[in-house]
This record gives sequence, C-alpha cells and structure tokens, in this order.
Amino acid sequence: MATFREQLKPRYAALGIILLSVLGLLLFRAWSIQVLSGDRFAAAAENNRVREIAIDAPRGRILDRNGEPLVTNRATLGVTVSPTAKDDEDMLYRLSVVLEMPLDEVNERVASTREAALKPRLVAVDVPMSTVAYLSEHESDFPGVEVSVVPVREYPNGTLAAHVLGYTGEISEESLDSGDMEGYVLGDIVGKSGAEAQFESVLQGEKGYRRVEVDAVGSPRHVLEEAEPVAGRDVVLTIDLEVQRVAEEALVRALAEARADDFNDARAGAAVAIDIETGEVLAMASVPTYDPALFIGGISTKDWEALNDKDSEYPLNNRVIQAQYPPASTFKAITGMAGLEYGVTSTGHSYYCSGRWTGQGEEWSKFCWNRRGHGPVGFRRGVADSCDIVFYEIGHSFYKRGKEELQVFSRRFGLGSQLGIDLPGEVSGRIPDAQWKAEFNADYPEYRQWLPGDTVNISIGQGDLLTTPLQMAAVYAGIANGGDVMRPHVLKEVLDSKGEPVRAYEPEVAFSSEVSESILRTMHGALLDVTEEGTGASAFRGFDARVAGKTGTAEVAGKDDYAWFTAYAPADDPQYAVAVLLEQGGHGGAIAAPAAREILAALLGLPVEHVQATDVSR
Amino acid sequence: MSRADAKMSSRLAGVRRWANLPLLLTVGLLITYGAVIVHSAVSGFAAGEAMFQRQLMGVALGIVPLAVLWALDYKRLEAWLGPLVVLNAFLIVSPLIPGLGATAKGATAWLEIGGIRLFQPSEPAKILTIVIMAIVISQYKGVIERPRDVMRVLAFLALPFGLILLQPDLGTGLVLIFITMGMLLVGGLKPKYFLVFALIGVIGVGIVLKAGLLADYQEDRLLVFVQPDRDPRGAGYNLEQSKIAIGSGGITGKGLGQGTQSNLNFLPERHTDFIFSVLGEELGFVGAVLLLGLYLALLMTALEISASSRDLLGSLVAVGIITMWTFQIMQNMGMTMGLMPITGIPLPFISFGSSFMIANLAGTGMLLSVWARRSGI
Repeated sequence: MATFREQLKPRYAALGIILLSVLGLLLFRAWSIQVLSGDRFAAAAENNRVREIAIDAPRGRILDRNGEPLVTNRATLGVTVSPTAKDDEDMLYRLSVVLEMPLDEVNERVASTREAALKPRLVAVDVPMSTVAYLSEHESDFPGVEVSVVPVREYPNGTLAAHVLGYTGEISEESLDSGDMEGYVLGDIVGKSGAEAQFESVLQGEKGYRRVEVDAVGSPRHVLEEAEPVAGRDVVLTIDLEVQRVAEEALVRALAEARADDFNDARAGAAVAIDIETGEVLAMASVPTYDPALFIGGISTKDWEALNDKDSEYPLNNRVIQAQYPPASTFKAITGMAGLEYGVTSTGHSYYCSGRWTGQGEEWSKFCWNRRGHGPVGFRRGVADSCDIVFYEIGHSFYKRGKEELQVFSRRFGLGSQLGIDLPGEVSGRIPDAQWKAEFNADYPEYRQWLPGDTVNISIGQGDLLTTPLQMAAVYAGIANGGDVMRPHVLKEVLDSKGEPVRAYEPEVAFSSEVSESILRTMHGALLDVTEEGTGASAFRGFDARVAGKTGTAEVAGKDDYAWFTAYAPADDPQYAVAVLLEQGGHGGAIAAPAAREILAALLGLPVEHVQATDVSR
Repeated sequence: MSRADAKMSSRLAGVRRWANLPLLLTVGLLITYGAVIVHSAVSGFAAGEAMFQRQLMGVALGIVPLAVLWALDYKRLEAWLGPLVVLNAFLIVSPLIPGLGATAKGATAWLEIGGIRLFQPSEPAKILTIVIMAIVISQYKGVIERPRDVMRVLAFLALPFGLILLQPDLGTGLVLIFITMGMLLVGGLKPKYFLVFALIGVIGVGIVLKAGLLADYQEDRLLVFVQPDRDPRGAGYNLEQSKIAIGSGGITGKGLGQGTQSNLNFLPERHTDFIFSVLGEELGFVGAVLLLGLYLALLMTALEISASSRDLLGSLVAVGIITMWTFQIMQNMGMTMGLMPITGIPLPFISFGSSFMIANLAGTGMLLSVWARRSGI
C-alpha cells in the first residue's frame, strides 16, 4: 500500500495547487471589485436605485390691466405613453384609433427623444371622458398608457390678444444649447413668443422634485425626498381687455368693408393704442390672428403648416412690431415739424398746388394726389388736406441743404430704431440716407447715388422709408407729450404669491425729440384740422372728443394701397395715441380712420360706433 | 490528566474514529451561512417564507442520504457497477419520459409524478457518476496508459454526459467532465492525454460555435463574457447588475437584507445562481472572504480525507466530490464577477434549491464513508 500512497503524492500536490489557485483567483477578483472599484459600483447601484422626478411648477397667469385673466391654467385629462412602449406597434395603432389621431403623430410623440428617458410622453390632451373611460376599461390592452391630469394653458378670451400673449411650447434644443436657459431640461414648457417668452423667467416658477426609489422595472417603491414646486408669478399687462377687443373687431370689420369696397386683397392689418405719458400699450391687435390653444400639448404638423403657409398672411406675425410699412402721409407730421424747425417752411408760407409739381424739372414732374390741384395752400391746410405739393417743396428744400436734416429729425422721434418694447421680435424700420443707399446698392453702382427724388419721396412717407405701426403711434404720442416719446411697454407689474405687486414697470423716456413748444403747437393745430375739416373729417363727424390725427395711404409696388390712420386724443388734454394700418385696404381716411375712431371711443369711454367715411387722399 | 478528562477524551477519540469533525463543522457552518443569505434573498418574494422553509426541508432531507452513504462501505458498490450505470442513465433520462418530467427555464430537468415535483435527477446523477467513474478508474490501479483504457473510461463518461445534453443541461454536463478530469489526474492518466483532451476541447468548442449548436441565449452569454459591455441592457444586463451588486457591497457590505440591487430586483435569479451577488452586496468583501475561507477549509479537509483513504477507490470518490465542488464554486462565483460565462450552476451549500442541497449532503456522506474506513485505524 505504501507504493499507492507514494504514487498519489505529486498528484495531490497538483490538485491542491489547482484548488488554491481557484480560491485565490476568486479572492483576488472579489477584492478588485469590492475594494478597488467599490466606489464606482456603489455609485452605479445608487444610480440604479434612485430616480429624481421633476415636478413642474404651475406657470404664472397673465392678467390685463384691470386684473382680468388673459392666460390662466387649467387641469385637463391627458394621455401619456411610457417611452418603453415605443416599439409596441400594434398597441400604438389601436391607441391612435381610440384617440382619433394620425398614427404618425402618435409614433412621433412617443418616440420623442427630447424628453428625459423615463418620462412618459404626453400624446394627447383634452381627451374626452368617453375615451378616458374606454382606456381605463381596457387598461390591460394598452400597456404603458396612462391617463393623467396635466396642467395646460387656458385662454379664457380665445384668440384675443394672441400676439401680445404669445404661446408656449416645449423648449427647443437650440435654446437649451445657447446657455441662457439655465435650469431647464428637454421637455420643459416655455414661452415661445409674446409676453409668454418675454416674461418667461417670472412666469416659470421653480420646479419641485421627488427622489424615489425604483425597482428594476422602474416602478417607484417609496419616496426618499420631496420638494414642492414654487408656482410662477402672475404678470399684469398694460393691455385693457375691452379696448383690445374693440381694436381687434374694428380691424376685422374694416378689412371686411375694404373687401366689400373692391379692395379684395385686404386681409391683414394692425392697430395699437398707447398711453402717451407712460408708454403703456392698452391694445395691440394684429390680423389675421391665430389660436394660442393650438399649441397646447404640442401643435400638430398640419396646424403648424397652415400657420406658416405662403397664402396664410402669416398669422403668427405681430404686425404692430414685426412688420414695417411706408408710413405715407402720416409721416407728413414729421416732415412738417422738421421744415418748421429748420426754417424751410413756416406757418405763413404760401404754396400753390396745380396738381403737378415740377420742382426737379419738367421731366421729373410729380403729382399731388389731387390731380385737379388744391390751388393756393398754406402750411396748415397742407397738412389738413395732405397736399403733396407742399411736402415735395419741403423735401426738396431739405435735399438742397444737403445735410440730411429730415432723416436726423425723424430719428429724434425713434424712427429707424427699435423703441425697446418689452416684447420679442421688434423690428427697427428704416430711415434711408445717402450712406444707407450706397451700402444697400453696393452691387449696383448706378443706383448708389442719393438723388433729390429720394428726399422728396421721404417727405411724403414713401420711397425707401419704412416704419412699424408702433413707431407711428409713438411719433404721435411724442407730439402729444411735449416731444418726449415714452418707451412703449406691455408689462404693468409682477405679482407675488399673495397677489401683491412686487415689481412695477417704471415709465421712461425712450426718445426725447427736443422739438420746441411752438412747433408742436402748430402741428397740433394742423392735425386737429385733419379730423375737423381735412381728410379725416368724414370719419370723425359727430365724435364726442376732439382728435388730432393724420390719414395716410401708402403706395406699395404691385399691391393695392395701404390705409393708415394715426392720432392722439383728447386733443385738449392728450392721453392716448393710436395707429391703425390696413394692408391693401385703400384710403386711410375712408377705412383706417373709422377703425381708429372706434378704438379711441373705447379708450375714452365713449360709445363705440361704426361710421362710414370717405377719403380719396393719399 | 484526570479520570474524567481521560474518559472524555477517549469518548472523543471514539467519535473521531469514524467522524471527521472539521468536515462536519465546515459543512454545518456553510449551510448556516447559506441559510442566512437565502433568507435575505427570498424575503422580498411573496412566497419568501415558504421558500425558506423548503430550503431548510432540503437540509433535513439531505441528512438521510448523508447518513446512509456514511454507514455504507463504499467498497461494496464496486460489485454493482452495471446496475449503477443503468440506474444513472435512467435517472438522467427520467424527466424526458412522458408523464414523469417537468420543464422549467428551457430544460426538462425535473422529475414530476402526479403533478408533484420531486427533485432534479441530475443532482443525484452527479454523485452516481462520481461513484461509477471512481470504480472504473480505480480498476487501473493508478496507471492509465493504453489508449483503449482511456477510451473505456471515456465511454463510461460519455453515457451520462450524452444523456444530460438531451435535457438539455450543458452546465451539469460540464460538471461531469471536470469531475472526471480531476479523478483521472489522481487516477494516473498520463499527462499527454490531458493535452489531447485540451486540444479536443478547443476544437469541439470551435465546432459547436461555428455550427450554431448552442441555443441563442447560450451564445449570447458566451459573447457577453468575451465582451461584457457588448449589450448592457440585454444579455450583458445580468452580469452588469451582478457586478454592481457585489462591487457596491464594498468592504463591509450594506448589511443583511439591505441590498438594494437584490431587493429592488436588479439581480436576476438572486436566490439561486446569483446568491453570491446578494452575499457580496450585503456582507461585502468581509463576507466574501469568510465564504472563501469556509470553502478552503472544506476542500482541504476533503483533500485530507482523500489522501487518507485505505484504497484508490476511496481516494477517487473523494477527489470526485472535491472537483465537483471546486468546479461549481469557480464557475458560480466566477460568473457573478465576470470571470466565467453565465451558466446555471449553483453555489454548493449556499444556493437555494433542495435537490442540490441533498446532493451536496450526499457527497458529504461519501466523504465521511471514506474517512470512516481510512487506513491506519
């Protein structure tokens, strides 16, 4: 037996070594995972276990100047789908049928990578109760589908003031990347335009969060930590709901009237009313408008395309600040005051209007809108009747002086630059001068030269001159306010959680024109004549307040005339300025002035009456 | 030495004659340790308490084969080689007989009669195969040189191995191969044959992979083993979660019952194949060292028993048990830590599963049988 034992010894040694190596290897591996990499795996386990779920804060409301709600929140029933169900084609198809939505749209929303990985995707809002009942009865047929109460924006006045209010939507990747949207994550609802975007930081409260422990399939087991969201603050606007309503209705009616009057393309317009002493915007209307509620829960592709269609007149544009037009004769107030200041005209100056002006030579003759001629006209009647000859003369004088004084004067009222209103997207208009023309036509040397006709065209508000309706309202507000143009604004104040104002807008002078008292008084008288005996008289017959204003009829190449009316009232103690513009609406005095009259009536608490007016001037 | 002491020590010596106390103590500690971990692992299940009772029942039932085999002189089994081979084959095939088998997780591995699940026949088959192979190998008196002898030995292995693949249970098949290799090492197979086996093994694996003989899930597991981050959400998920569990235990662990990876279901099969992940998470490196220490004691004691055997048969039986445990420990703990591909091999004395527990206790009984009849007593 000794031999058998001796024989086995080396074999046991080999076996022993194998056993020890196996156990040693396992020991080393455990040490490496648990001791060397323990922290990394501990973090991984924590990451497995804990999910932070953000709780969105209710967005602040938007109120009108009297506290009437313009935008509020409401709870609605929404259908969400867990992103884990994105490959369940059969279920998503059935869901699309139940929700009466195109399958593509359901798929698009469920597969959205723009939200946190685990966050259920909102597929539909305002789901009817019958659908909700169906989904709950057939719960097991729709795995991952849930009906939940979601807070959405509500617009109690429908489309009213849509351009001022703006709409909300999911934050875009670009704005997240831009870095000025700190604290936001994909999927957050933010203001995209208008006041919603402008006052985003105030309206968007502070998110709360809930840290929950989840199991392997992501079901929450219990809450580890919780923080309540802080609601966004309410924003009070300077908008007056009633004036806004009148302004929008006046625009729509004026356009309908223009179409009935053979201006078949009259489909768009803008109106704005501001307080001359504070710059508060009481009404800001733009037609056509859109329904901000379309954006709730994400706008459908079809609706979005409709809003951006070439033939849609671009309803999303706020024409008051985002569109620029030749101001036409409404600009004559600027030309007139500039002429008085630089002494190229005077109240005593007498002009003769034969209907044709040959100041630049026979071959460059221009015409007054009144081809029959106004005969002898003074400065004041030139404004009241909007006689072009008077302003050709003034413009020509400015050209001969060669100092671009008309342009300099225009800029003193804020034309050619943004007024700095607290709404996104304001454009600056254009005051053309020799330098601009040379740059603009850099590639066309034959057009670079500043010509007499350029200044003459500006003097009647045509040529390359462009202004926004807001700018023209601000010019007239400036005339009424002793020459100071107040910065237009829509923010009145921000409220705290108890409804007390915490921050009020402080009025400030945007442009100080430094025009003398006497010149302003002269222009004031001439503008009063416009509504009392001039081109605007027919629209203001029987109006209970005296109005200082100016009609305008802009020529736009290839289009029907654009109708303008700008004014301030009451003339004796001015409070409000308005500007109305109707694209391809015809004559200012006939179509824009009656709309302005309605808006002024609403502002001054007078009965809002619609009048038929006539005007053939430009 | 007082009289009482002398009496005591002589009584102890009497016990020691036939009982190996270190082995019994080590097995007892391992079972206790396992019961603690299994209790923690199943406590989150709805049927957790019943499962734990079932596990304890397995321990109690295992005492029977342990005692029977201990009392039985293994030498007497030599005469029964033929019937043992037939019994073994029948056991392995029994679940495949209509009316007797039950299928779980892709393998028909359970014996079921009248709707009542009895046990997994592959577990006793491991012990039986050890006995059969030990008898066959011991016939060569410690030297296996001639190819026809090698072929004969392999033929005895081929039968149970081939039949187990029918279930199919690749894991148990691998256990049988490694057990035989261990016994051949001690049984005197010439080293050159091991090289031939290794070569055949490599070629065989290559053919199996190329021909796509593995089930998809098996192939996935192998690929994931080679390349762990290949698919962390799919096939690599289990391995990743297991490593996170073990690693996050750190040095001292999260505390018994406090493992988040296991309680929140991130760990798959946490009470059976991945029981070590629960242990590692809740008791940390300290717990792992304790387990490895107990295994070291178990295997060294078994090695001592093997070396003390009065004959080659006893040595080989013990070696079979040792290699069975060693391979299972390495494979199971190795897979939970990414050292081995994932297969369904449980951890001896620790994993949940009563058939498995009973088989391990039967193996302990075999070791005690060898010890009780060792030379020099």
